[in-house]
Amino acid sequence: MKNYIQQRRLIFFTDNKIKLSIYFAWIPIFCSLLYSCDSFVDVDLPTSQLTGNTVFENKNTANAALVNVYAQIRDNGLITGKPTGISNLLGNYSDELTFYGTDSNAAKDFYNNTIIASNTTVAGWWNNTYKQIYAANAVIEGVSNNTKLIESDKNQLLGEALFIRALLHFYLANIYGNIPYITTTSYQTNAVVSKKSVSEIYSEVINDLQKAISLLPSNYITSGRVRPNKSAVQALLARVYLYDNRWELAEQTASLLINNTNLYSWENNIDKVFLKESTSTIWQLMPSTAGKNTDEGNLFVFTSGPPTLVALNNELFKAFSSDDLRKTHWIKVVTNGTSTWYHANKYKQKSPTGTSVEYSIVMRLEEQYLIRAEARVYLNKLEEAKEDLNKIRNRAGLQNTTATTTENLLQAILNERKFELFTELGHRFFDLKRTANLDNFLSGTKPGWNTTDRLFPVPDSELRVNPNLLPQNDGY
Amino acid sequence: MNYFSFYKDGRALYCLIFTGILLSFSSSFAKILEHSHTSFLHQHTVEGIVTDGTSPLPGVTVTIKNKINNVCITDFNGQYSLVVSSNDTLVVSFIGFKKALIPIQGRTKIDIKLQYDTTTLQEVKINAGYYSVKESERTGSIAKITAKDIDKQPVTNILSAMQGRMAGVTITQTTGIPGGGFDVQIRGTNSLRADGNQPLYIIDGVPYASNSISNNNISSIIIPSSNVSPLSSINPSDIESIEVLKDADATAIYGSRGANGVILINTKKGKEGKTRFTINTNTAVGNVTRYMNLMHTDQYLEMRKEAFANDGIVKYPAAAYDVNGTWDQSRYTDWQKELIGGTAQINDCQISINSGSAHTQFLVSGNYHNETTVFPGDYKYKRGGANFNLNHQSADNKFKINLSSSYSSQNNNLPATDFTREARSLSPNAPALYDTSGNLNWENGTFNNPLRSLEAVYKANTANLIANAILSYQIIPELEIKTSIGFSDLRYDEIRTSPSTIYNPSLGLGSESSSLFVNNSNRESWIIEPQLNWNKKIGHGKIELLAGATFQQQKTAQLVQEADGFASNSLIYDLASATYLYVFTNQQTQYKYQAFFGRANFNWKDRYIVNLTGRRDGSSRFGPGNQFANFGAIGAAWLFSKESLLENKILSFGKLRASYGTTGNDQIGDYNFLDTYSSAGNNYQGTVGLQPNRLYNPNFGWETNKKMEIALDLGFIQDRIFLTTAYYRNRSSNQLVGIPLPGTTGFNSILANLNATVENTGLELTIRTVNIEKQNFKWATNLNLTAPKNNLIAFPQLENSTYANQYVIGKSINIQKVYNYIGLNTQTGIYQFEDVNKDGKISSPDDRQTIKDFSPKFYGGLQNQFNLKRWQLDFLFQYVKQENWNSISMLGLPGGLSNKTIEVLNRWQNPGDTGPYQMYSSGTNSLVTVANNLYANSNAAITDASYLRLKNISISYNLPENSLKKLKCRISLQGQNILTFTSYKGADPEFIVSGFLPPLKIYALGLQLIF
Repeated sequence: MKNYIQQRRLIFFTDNKIKLSIYFAWIPIFCSLLYSCDSFVDVDLPTSQLTGNTVFENKNTANAALVNVYAQIRDNGLITGKPTGISNLLGNYSDELTFYGTDSNAAKDFYNNTIIASNTTVAGWWNNTYKQIYAANAVIEGVSNNTKLIESDKNQLLGEALFIRALLHFYLANIYGNIPYITTTSYQTNAVVSKKSVSEIYSEVINDLQKAISLLPSNYITSGRVRPNKSAVQALLARVYLYDNRWELAEQTASLLINNTNLYSWENNIDKVFLKESTSTIWQLMPSTAGKNTDEGNLFVFTSGPPTLVALNNELFKAFSSDDLRKTHWIKVVTNGTSTWYHANKYKQKSPTGTSVEYSIVMRLEEQYLIRAEARVYLNKLEEAKEDLNKIRNRAGLQNTTATTTENLLQAILNERKFELFTELGHRFFDLKRTANLDNFLSGTKPGWNTTDRLFPVPDSELRVNPNLLPQNDGY
Repeated sequence: MNYFSFYKDGRALYCLIFTGILLSFSSSFAKILEHSHTSFLHQHTVEGIVTDGTSPLPGVTVTIKNKINNVCITDFNGQYSLVVSSNDTLVVSFIGFKKALIPIQGRTKIDIKLQYDTTTLQEVKINAGYYSVKESERTGSIAKITAKDIDKQPVTNILSAMQGRMAGVTITQTTGIPGGGFDVQIRGTNSLRADGNQPLYIIDGVPYASNSISNNNISSIIIPSSNVSPLSSINPSDIESIEVLKDADATAIYGSRGANGVILINTKKGKEGKTRFTINTNTAVGNVTRYMNLMHTDQYLEMRKEAFANDGIVKYPAAAYDVNGTWDQSRYTDWQKELIGGTAQINDCQISINSGSAHTQFLVSGNYHNETTVFPGDYKYKRGGANFNLNHQSADNKFKINLSSSYSSQNNNLPATDFTREARSLSPNAPALYDTSGNLNWENGTFNNPLRSLEAVYKANTANLIANAILSYQIIPELEIKTSIGFSDLRYDEIRTSPSTIYNPSLGLGSESSSLFVNNSNRESWIIEPQLNWNKKIGHGKIELLAGATFQQQKTAQLVQEADGFASNSLIYDLASATYLYVFTNQQTQYKYQAFFGRANFNWKDRYIVNLTGRRDGSSRFGPGNQFANFGAIGAAWLFSKESLLENKILSFGKLRASYGTTGNDQIGDYNFLDTYSSAGNNYQGTVGLQPNRLYNPNFGWETNKKMEIALDLGFIQDRIFLTTAYYRNRSSNQLVGIPLPGTTGFNSILANLNATVENTGLELTIRTVNIEKQNFKWATNLNLTAPKNNLIAFPQLENSTYANQYVIGKSINIQKVYNYIGLNTQTGIYQFEDVNKDGKISSPDDRQTIKDFSPKFYGGLQNQFNLKRWQLDFLFQYVKQENWNSISMLGLPGGLSNKTIEVLNRWQNPGDTGPYQMYSSGTNSLVTVANNLYANSNAAITDASYLRLKNISISYNLPENSLKKLKCRISLQGQNILTFTSYKGADPEFIVSGFLPPLKIYALGLQLIF
């Protein structure tokens, strides 16, 4: 400013020929100098954005913030049925799938068990999942601090967000081992967060799930079982208890589901289990648009060989007993005359249909029977355990189990889980891991397998920016 | 005082109208004045030709002493004609020649021969943006290239015409694909924010946003980082000159946007003279500069088989089609030749018409450029444009108006994927591209045919309009009022198709799996800059004052959509035919900017010069309370050669200059201070999700860049040797960066100020010599050399920050921390690395502690010009001393299913072998794969990537005019990137992102006709 005044004086005093009229020429510049400083550079909020605090003042926008998390879970991260999700990658990593893709495909390193700390897919799992957790926490904080929502809407949103937070942490802990449990949106806190042990994570998970149970209604709030209810939370809780070796609680919680016959009934027709109306479904993810089917179907189904990405492992196919209905109904054989390949055919739709036929199932009743069977073996209720196991076997057209001892029964359950839950969200890998069977099953069949492969590496990009996450898992 | 705030949104229009009215009155006022000045003495016409002794000189100014209004510019044949009185004296002046004073003495025909005067180079006016300054009186650091240099180069983008020609300016072309981007840095990397180092571009006074508005979802697989340069809109032959402002003295007047330097681009203007048509045509061919030296089939199969043997795998896996008998093992295809070995055809045509009287001049030009690719398939880049320029000044020369506008339209049609990566990685025994009936060969589903990408296309249409008007009125001889009004409008529409036919038919996918991605973007901005200029000579002193204001607004709108599922692939371009439509982005953003600036220049006896510049800036990109900041600089020069003590014959010019000042940087994107949610573009249960846009920080503020420079300009022997040496030191502090965050925060960064200081220092040297100057032969040389150094000088709490493993105090910010390779274990055949923390395993970040610096050590160019009678030869060598990732780091594991460079044939096979490359593996030996990955991130994978390149060569011949009457004709042969000398083992050493097509080698034949 000084410059301009000085300049004005110079003109005025050094050249007295200047007429007063010329002085007016300065007006536009001086006016702008003096009066208009702040207003010009203020901009309106962009039309496509809402401010953070207004989102949670309204039921519809708060709901939109929450369903975004489901869409995220469906489309990326761990639970997605896309090739980057655990259904595909843990299937390759363990003994469920054979890899047919090119060298540059992300699944190759999973199939070869040559994951390194800088693997971008493993980093993607981590980052996407914590992003989903952030969004869940933002709902929890936004809803908790808000007085404009009615109590029931608040409880619904809170309960679902707590469930999501627990679910994602549970998967992370099983993949990465010790991890941080994130309960706030504060980046100052989250940037320097430290790891917790898996058992600490489980108690946080259980804590969140119990809160969610108290908040959520028994019935689904919408048709299609695409939003979790109280039972969905209990189903996950039963699984957590099983993984945490808390047999009694696992049995009790699984029984809650199994006894809830109003909502869940046994699907006797094996071809109907993966349809969107299936009565054994506890929670499923809805496709983005009407007419679309599952990403899993799109991923696994192929009509002519050789496959371009993955096929079902030949050994897995051979392991099925020949009269197992799952072998004929949930697996499809593709041949070109000289070679034969198999693909998972649980979800049968590769492409969109007029109206959607299948949704991606995250939890179903059959798993609850298997959870209870296993818990009951440990509780020494062998006969009851067999009943649960036979329920699964009989539907598949198989005779009752011949196992009688604890050890044999556990083996039979592990085996049954392999046949019942194959290519579903990494069940096989997690089962081998929690029963300390990874080396037994994979050392012989997978040339790249090492004991330390039981845990995935914390992404090294993450360790670089937060040293509190050190040490790296063994083997990386 | 709000009643007077007509600068509020939208109301700046009033300001424009107001200024317009003011100036339109002044023009009519000027006319009245004109008549009173005209005198009616006895007069006659004098005419003649101005030459340099051999050929006529067009564009020479012929005036009459003491009669400023009587001006004539010689036409193309050097002819002039003026109405004079017999006792007048002609004043003949032309840049590069000595001014001639010729008394008329009643003559009616006077032919004039001008003498060359090298010292008048000092008289050249340099454009400094808001003002211009004589070369000799310049206090700041400004580099310049002119049409003379640009026209010699067969380039599509003006940025490539600048490569190697300016000290302190590094320009890297990121792809050889037309329309692709450039990385431009002036005096180094100032900001820790990767996208915060772009200079400010000003085209004819209109700031031009240079950041790409291409969408990542659409173009990133064909154009590296989706960096589409908006500057491709500009036809290089429309450019008169490019000035690069480097130091504080030159850039501080651009305030917040000057931190990374300013590039002023000026288009050609109409000149006085007879109507003149200029036609330029060019035909060129382009090829890839260098190929990678890849394995042949026998070498490759040997590698693969050995890899499986090493892994203990006897039965080749089902998917190992190259070795398991599925593919013919006797085939060999040079995939680089097949996929990127084509010849690009480039055609250029430009016509311009120039005419003008003493008071009104205009230039109209039209141009057309097209270019095919080196890829297979029929792809074309087309650009057409028109330029218009009009200058008018009132008879008394008080009122001036200059209108410039240029419109261009580009149409880029490319394959959706760059073939370069596949050309380098496909197995050499991969099957034929087409089957016997001419269809794409998928080899029964086993071959992911690279030509599948031909089925998918990327198309971009760009329309660009830049218009500006400069109106000025001289109120009194010392005082001028001026307003510059500019408008720019960039429309960018791009699509990418992904039809089902790109997929392996064994997937059985139909058109219901086809997709279309569409981006419609628009960026428009306007700017108004009223200014006041005051100049006065007082005795031996000279004062120049300038004050002005800027009001600018930029609006960007972007709509990005994905359409999935079509009834037929022939409907794929039709959004309405899609089954599903997703909107990724639909946003309108606004950027407003306001500034007041001033300059005061004091000149005493043309020896001592002080230049003060300042600016107060406000930007909408900052939150309330942080919007405004002040910037300023002082520059001074001492022309010591004018001191009587030092006056001598050898030293023709000597100037010491220095400057110090501050500039800023607001390249941070819009609205970042807000906590907002927006639509995520995904859908669940029929509801479109809302997602948080960012972690927000409402408190970030301006970062500052302090620049210091000391320079010495020396001219010897009438400036035949001219030397400029400059030392600069730029310090950027209060760095405004996206601080990297761990994924546990849900985001990867947060925008905030960081108390870190980055220093760029460097030495720049420019030598211009006229080695030989004879009647018919001239040889001149230009050399520029820059030795830069980047240094992170302060970063409190670095070790506790998220940057702890990225930066080191006292080192460049272009470093990367890598593993330290300590050699091959000759017993196991596996690479070994230093275990820095001695924990028994090699892991990041603790063992990743070896520092490698990717900044160039020095760079520059050497240009030689020869003129022999009608022949001209010009060539430019560009050189860069640097290190970069080598080919080993890019091609993956030796032994895997992809081709490798022949270097890795020197591998370990038996205990005792020294390699240097480790044993092969097909990918199942985790020790080998892990070691290979560590190697690719170690100091062993970074090698010298220095190069010396014959950047440009141009030979031209002017046909004798006598034989062609009034037609002037020049034929030229030009080459770009002709020879590259480098020890770099990969493909081209000039790249930023690997795996994309490097810049092409171009030969062009040109014809220029002037009549």
